[in-house]
Amino acid sequence: MSIYLDNQAAKPVDDRVISEMMLYFNEKFANPASLHCDGDVATDILEKSREKIANFVNASNSSDILFTSGATESNNLGIIGAAMRQKNKGNHIIISEIEHISILNIGKYLEKEGFRVSRLAVDRFGGIRLDKLEKLITDETILISISTASNEVGTLQPTAEISKIAQEKGVLFHTDAVSSESVIPIDVQEVPIDLITLSSNDIYGPRGVGALYLKKGVRVNPIIIGGGQERGMRSGSENVPGIVGFAKAAEIAKEEMPKESEKLKILRDKLIKNVLDTIPKSYLNGHPEKRLPHNAHFRFDYIEGESLILTLKEHNIAAATGSACSSKTLEPSHTLIAMGLLHEEAHGSLLVSLGRTTRESDIDHLLEVLPDQVKRLRKLSPLTPSDLLKKYEEVK
Amino acid sequence: MKSTQYSDKVLDHFKNPRNVGEIEDADGIGQVGNPVCGDLMWIYIKVGKNDEGEEIIDDIKFKTFGCGSAVSTSSMITEMAKGMTLDEAYKISRQDVADELNGLPPIKMHCSNLAADALQAAIDNYRLGTNPEVEIVTSCQLGVRVILGIEKYFGKGAYDAVPVDLEELREKRVLIVDSGDESLELALELTNYTGRVIVVTSAKSIPGNVEIRKKLKHSEVKLLQESELIEIKGELDEVEKVVIHDNDEDENYELFVDVVIVMDYRG
Repeated sequence: MSIYLDNQAAKPVDDRVISEMMLYFNEKFANPASLHCDGDVATDILEKSREKIANFVNASNSSDILFTSGATESNNLGIIGAAMRQKNKGNHIIISEIEHISILNIGKYLEKEGFRVSRLAVDRFGGIRLDKLEKLITDETILISISTASNEVGTLQPTAEISKIAQEKGVLFHTDAVSSESVIPIDVQEVPIDLITLSSNDIYGPRGVGALYLKKGVRVNPIIIGGGQERGMRSGSENVPGIVGFAKAAEIAKEEMPKESEKLKILRDKLIKNVLDTIPKSYLNGHPEKRLPHNAHFRFDYIEGESLILTLKEHNIAAATGSACSSKTLEPSHTLIAMGLLHEEAHGSLLVSLGRTTRESDIDHLLEVLPDQVKRLRKLSPLTPSDLLKKYEEVK
Repeated sequence: MKSTQYSDKVLDHFKNPRNVGEIEDADGIGQVGNPVCGDLMWIYIKVGKNDEGEEIIDDIKFKTFGCGSAVSTSSMITEMAKGMTLDEAYKISRQDVADELNGLPPIKMHCSNLAADALQAAIDNYRLGTNPEVEIVTSCQLGVRVILGIEKYFGKGAYDAVPVDLEELREKRVLIVDSGDESLELALELTNYTGRVIVVTSAKSIPGNVEIRKKLKHSEVKLLQESELIEIKGELDEVEKVVIHDNDEDENYELFVDVVIVMDYRG
């Protein structure tokens, strides 16, 4: 097992969650739609779980929660479902340049369906331009979808301000909260948001489960048609064991979040400080303060990210990069480009995401390995300037 | 197949690359690739003669910026080519390199398998006898070309003079077109206000007088050499991105910025 620092790609399921789920695979396995006693047991646990998720976002009604198969489905249901439902009110939707790929592709899909989609610009730290958001809204605007934080560079978005603007203009506001839900509390009483995408795995629950929070009175057109489960908005027999796990994960997350976030922040700051101090020509991508407590995203000049990931792999460290060479499309990360980085700069990025299982010794190990490996790749690279190489020789 | 699903041999060459470095008195140098695309490869050769009097590759070294397969193919080809006659070495194909490495992921076959091209370029360089040194041209004083769309952005992120209050540019992404030393001094000054200052220059090396060149070299100003600003774009008539033409590669690309400064723009 390697030192796992790729928690924004997938998280381990918490042991407490796994033990909670077991009963619902083979003992209390019935379909909540069934009328017999076993069905009642399933309905009962399904609704209790729904309450726990509602509690997780501080919603007053558990019926505000719809269960889905995960964040991608919640984004589809939330955005496409709301757009289709509001079609007679207008055809304009606003997303940002740096949304998760599922939302960017939903944007492209809706354009084909006749909607106009604006992509809000971001500043050099990856924060959305609030002044531009206001100007982009027209009478035709029906929906804004901006994530709570960048899933790559970790920059937090001003969700409360967006919510205020959306309310004033009478436009629905959807947010994908997946990248922040494990570390930053969601409180829909304090910051009213119309639709929120949640994922189970991102709070250390099982994969294949998620939820869409819908504010009271907000409805979406279904995108999965069937037996009319989830108030007719999401058909299909409920994944009861998964939902039970999701609910347990939410319960634990809510309880432990303040302490856990604080711990992660300390580790993250130690990592960022040491990397920037010890590695010349290294930079932090994203906002220095307004960022996810578990995200550190670096850029190293003169080297390429996939090479770096392979090198770290040799040293038993699992991390990620926004380099084109690691992607299926061979395009560098759209987020880094939208922040104003050149392609060759975006190639040299490293994403380190911490999580519940991360220990200080993991960070120390990375800090031991990383400077030498960056140096090794720079010595190989024709882009490295001679004065930097000379400096490396001197240290030796 | 994942992009990083490499054979053991590829990984071995990545971990322990052979023949890394430069040959100072190289007979031929080949450079291929482009850091924008994520790969750049330099191959250096030293030519000697074998017993039959044929020209052979006596020594070969490489430097590479790129992903795992870019490093491995560079290393592999240096092992293959060492001792070969120039004619034999010239015939090594991309496929030969990939085969010798027990295959490459399909997605990498074209993008990061440039070693054979680099070696051919080095042999060409030797045979054509041209000077392998890159020619150095000093600062561009050529004036600025027409920039599409710039007029409507004046006052909305585009400036044709030094902005009155530099404070307005705090933490903005600023792109300055090199129109001489004054513009370069402004770029240096602006690094006190923002971490992102980009200078577009048609010069092939660092532009400016001796002092400015020295300062630029040690500053955080990002230089785009051999490049021109050709268009400004943005929703709501505010500067959002620019189109840059890379004269060396003869291609255009977009870059997100907030501010564009073109001093004394005359269209």
